[in-house]
Amino acid sequence: MFPTRALWARSVWKGPHIVPLPIIRPKPGEKVPPIKTQARAATILPNFVGLKFQVHNGKIYNDITITEDMVGRKLGEFSPTRKKFTYKQTKNK
Amino acid sequence: MVFIFGKPFADPDLLRHSLQTFFGIGPQVCKRLMARHYLHPTIRVGELPNPKILQLNADLAEMKLENDLKRQIRDDIGRLRDMGTYRGRRHAMGLPVRGQRTRTQINTARRLNHVPRYTL
Repeated sequence: MFPTRALWARSVWKGPHIVPLPIIRPKPGEKVPPIKTQARAATILPNFVGLKFQVHNGKIYNDITITEDMVGRKLGEFSPTRKKFTYKQTKNK
Repeated sequence: MVFIFGKPFADPDLLRHSLQTFFGIGPQVCKRLMARHYLHPTIRVGELPNPKILQLNADLAEMKLENDLKRQIRDDIGRLRDMGTYRGRRHAMGLPVRGQRTRTQINTARRLNHVPRYTL
């Protein structure tokens, strides 16, 4: 038996994967630009809640607003990397 | 006829088979449950003494089974979908969730991966 499968993924002694991101605390009445990052493996920490991120998917940066549910997950989970398959009609037969 | 967790079972049925008819009890959980009550693996429902049935029922009532478990699974998948995670999207598309190949053999995913997964 194991307490929870989530603990299997990563050793507990390492703690969450923390990436130094340029997070600025917004002053009241001031607009903060979204944080542009390629660190898809960065764990979402509780202090990210409410912030806007732009997460790279290999091609473009996808906008993500962090909600409370997302804490503990990785940034990359919310920025899909695959294009959906669409059938293209060939013109030359 | 013996009632276990509100479900009737015939006397000659094996207890382990009867327990495994509940959603949420498989071979492993069943084995552990029976060991906890000192029941041998080939015991039949009719051979159960009355106090044992009561104890079993009390244990089963504490566990998350049947519709409660299905509801939990459905809600967990729904939460992944609402958040917009990759896993949630794969569930919604009916494709494998954990990086399996999709060129062939995705019948299990096609059968199971839906949002909502169970209709109660």
